[in-house]
Amino acid sequence: MSSTVSAPGSARSGGGGLDRRATFWFLYLPPLLWLAAFFVAPVLLMAAFSFRTSSRGGLSAGWDFSLVQYLNLIESGSYWRLLGISTLAALAVAVCAVLLAYPVAFFLAFRAGPRAGFYLVLLLVPFWTSYLLRVMAWKFMLGTEGVINSLLIYIGLIQDPLPALLYNRTAVVLTLIYVWIPFAALPILAALQRIDTALFEAAADLGARPFHQFTRITLPLSLPGVLAAFFMVFIPTVGEYVTPLLVGGSRGSLYGNIIQDFFTKAANWPLGSALSMIMLAATLILVVIAVRLIDLKQLFV
Amino acid sequence: MNARRSAIPLSLYFFGLIAALYLPLGVLFLFSFNSNTYLSFPLRDLTLSWYQQLFEADAILAAAGNSLAVAAGSSLAATLLGTMVSILMMRYQFRAKGLLVALAVLPLIVPYVVLGVALLLLFSVLQIDRSLWTVGIAHTVVALPYTLLIIGSRLAGFDPNLEEAAMDLGADYPTTLRRVVLPMIFPAMVSAWLTAFTVSFDEFALALFLAGTRPTFPVYLFSQLRFANRLPVMIALAVLLMIGTLTLVLIAERFRRRGT
Amino acid sequence: MRETKSTFFAAQAALFILALLITACSPQQQPPADVAPGDLTGTLTVLDWAGYDAPDFWVDFQTTYPNVNVNFSIGASDADIYAKMVAGDQADIFHPYTGWLQFYVDEGLVEEIDTSKLTNWDKVPDSFKAIGQINGKQYFIPWDWGFTSILYRTDKVEGEIDSWGALMDPKYAGHISMWDDGPGAVTVSTYIHGYDEAAVTDEQLAAIKGEWIAQRDLNLFYWAGEPELTEGMAGGDVWVAYSWQGAYATLLAQGVPVAYANPKEGRNSWVGVYGIRKGTENYDLALKFLDAKLGEATGNNVVNLFYYGHSNQDVMNGITDATLKEAFSIDDSDILAKTNFTPNLTAEQRDAWTAMWAEVKAAP
Repeated sequence: MSSTVSAPGSARSGGGGLDRRATFWFLYLPPLLWLAAFFVAPVLLMAAFSFRTSSRGGLSAGWDFSLVQYLNLIESGSYWRLLGISTLAALAVAVCAVLLAYPVAFFLAFRAGPRAGFYLVLLLVPFWTSYLLRVMAWKFMLGTEGVINSLLIYIGLIQDPLPALLYNRTAVVLTLIYVWIPFAALPILAALQRIDTALFEAAADLGARPFHQFTRITLPLSLPGVLAAFFMVFIPTVGEYVTPLLVGGSRGSLYGNIIQDFFTKAANWPLGSALSMIMLAATLILVVIAVRLIDLKQLFV
Repeated sequence: MNARRSAIPLSLYFFGLIAALYLPLGVLFLFSFNSNTYLSFPLRDLTLSWYQQLFEADAILAAAGNSLAVAAGSSLAATLLGTMVSILMMRYQFRAKGLLVALAVLPLIVPYVVLGVALLLLFSVLQIDRSLWTVGIAHTVVALPYTLLIIGSRLAGFDPNLEEAAMDLGADYPTTLRRVVLPMIFPAMVSAWLTAFTVSFDEFALALFLAGTRPTFPVYLFSQLRFANRLPVMIALAVLLMIGTLTLVLIAERFRRRGT
Repeated sequence: MRETKSTFFAAQAALFILALLITACSPQQQPPADVAPGDLTGTLTVLDWAGYDAPDFWVDFQTTYPNVNVNFSIGASDADIYAKMVAGDQADIFHPYTGWLQFYVDEGLVEEIDTSKLTNWDKVPDSFKAIGQINGKQYFIPWDWGFTSILYRTDKVEGEIDSWGALMDPKYAGHISMWDDGPGAVTVSTYIHGYDEAAVTDEQLAAIKGEWIAQRDLNLFYWAGEPELTEGMAGGDVWVAYSWQGAYATLLAQGVPVAYANPKEGRNSWVGVYGIRKGTENYDLALKFLDAKLGEATGNNVVNLFYYGHSNQDVMNGITDATLKEAFSIDDSDILAKTNFTPNLTAEQRDAWTAMWAEVKAAP
């Protein structure tokens, strides 16, 4: 791969050119090789699988080139709707998670003081417990004879238990938001921590009220982190399947469930691969649009 | 100062969230003493038998140990690679830069199931047996976008002039990296490492496909959930792990407070 | 310098070729037939479902051959195990369930089993032996088995449930739970309508799909593992469910008022089997392992710890616990005659039925 390495400082005397170039290769090769071997190659293999007629023959035989999987999918049309719903659901989750995560990041950056690191880890510890077990516990609390319903009935707020808390698409979205808030807070926190607090002092000296300090200084400067958080949540959620399995009920399946079923229940790899390729393409298109709309330089400068 | 007053609603919000996050853990804690094999209220006779069974169940403890090993290794690798790509992204110009960054971030959009099968195919073709190493490799790939985002956005905020100043003073570039850049981004590296560790520790979609004869804990748990009467022992382990981690975190905080 | 190097490499190459020739021409190593069991060594790898790697479930083998290493790798579902075997997993032994057996034979992944070397083989009833036979050859040995039927809360459901149609009955709307499995759903429909399970036509399949899309409105959630099911039923959310007898036994033991139906169309039964990978170098050792799996101590553990049945008839005849006798209908002497055993699917059927189920879940 040819590349001209240039950077400010390379024309200088002393340290400049040669070891900068050597360092470049030292920094460039490991990630490149790693990604090529363990990401690009598998995905290409998967794409090749999507062009097979069937799984028969396993790995050694049965390799052909056919568009039958894609044609079937286009013809049946059942999954396009689901892909759209999954994307919208992911959008909702990302927006809400980021909105709810912002105050968390703000608290950690500006109000938590020296304890911020501790609080941050405290936020992450639940994620080292099994997700499956945690959701099981939630399901127990949200069920019709669970704690929350019992409490509400006891206070007299409702007569009959609310069935709507569980086993539907709303439950999926709410659970996902709940799960993503701590993660979404991380990039926002990183962005907030970079803001020079001297700016606030200067603004205060010039007579700006705290609210204005927030809208004029904090918010704009944290925007790159907010955007990063948004994409960090949005993109993987499009393919989410575990949460719908656990709390979605019969109607809560998302696109990711269909893909997962074809791999783990049906052993139909060509069809599953084709479905995955479609989802990858759709997400890539979204990402490209987003990158065009948002100047990437703003993200990191 | 204004900060003190506006701290109260914010802290309420923050600690409310913490409470919501820990509530299911509290429920699990209660049920680890329940003699029923399924979650129900009121608790039937309290029992410590699940914890007892746990210590006799070498397989479960081994699985937990495997998860720790995989998470530690993959998070380290992901942090290293993320740092490398971040530095390339922020301090170098080269034609393939956009491609490299895009590749590093792309694992975010590939469903884990897909990546798992794809890697399984790859390892089969290469005749590499499934093992904790193959799981670790997969985890590194999916953790890389996170480490890159965290370290990259931190690095972006630092003035490249600092490095130029160091080189003006005669340091070569590797030394500059070591002495100037790395210390600057070290907090972000720790944050990235934590994130990658979290991503790996409870991950099971990839592990399910790529684990060999030694399962990680989520794989073990997920497949154990076929049998209802194994549930309580799993809960007991999850509770122990959580208590252990919390204790470590509290101790670390104590030490930090002593140090300041 | 260069000359020395090339001589060196030539010598290496010659040695290598020589080594190859020697190994190729030497007779195959056979484990001596007269080694005492206690001294037999070796390593076996088993691809099994989680839980079955516990020593309880191969205790006979462990006591007879204590010096043999047994390693387990875990599969999470039939499709997962199939995927791993197709991808070239090197396990010597694997554990699929009825419905999936044809594929292994078609793909050439399984060895024929020499039943003359199995000392426990005569304790297995003929009907179970037949389950492991494909194209007239014994490829698998049956091991664990159980029923599928309708499990229901007797305090929430009026009267008795006597038909598979209960899973689609609007009376129980919002309180039904079906297993998350396409072939399972097709099977239920064939029972209800009297279709031939081995020959479902395209029109029938389309009708079945419509029926299950309608059923979705009555169904609370699809369960993927027994704990989900027992939770739902114990908590009162689920009143009627497609269920294996393990959940029945679990809930009975905890005092939840449940009953296990005897539908007029007959219960379903599934059987788990063990097969030996084609091309394994440990064929004889694997046979010994399978033989020990049929042993009584192992069988008793399966029954008592997992509430599953075992193919060794002596084990089943020896059950005394009242809950288990109830769960297995031990006292009903012709229960097996009334039971429909899951037939083996062809690859086309598997693809069609699983695709149907995906469309049911994706339908608006």
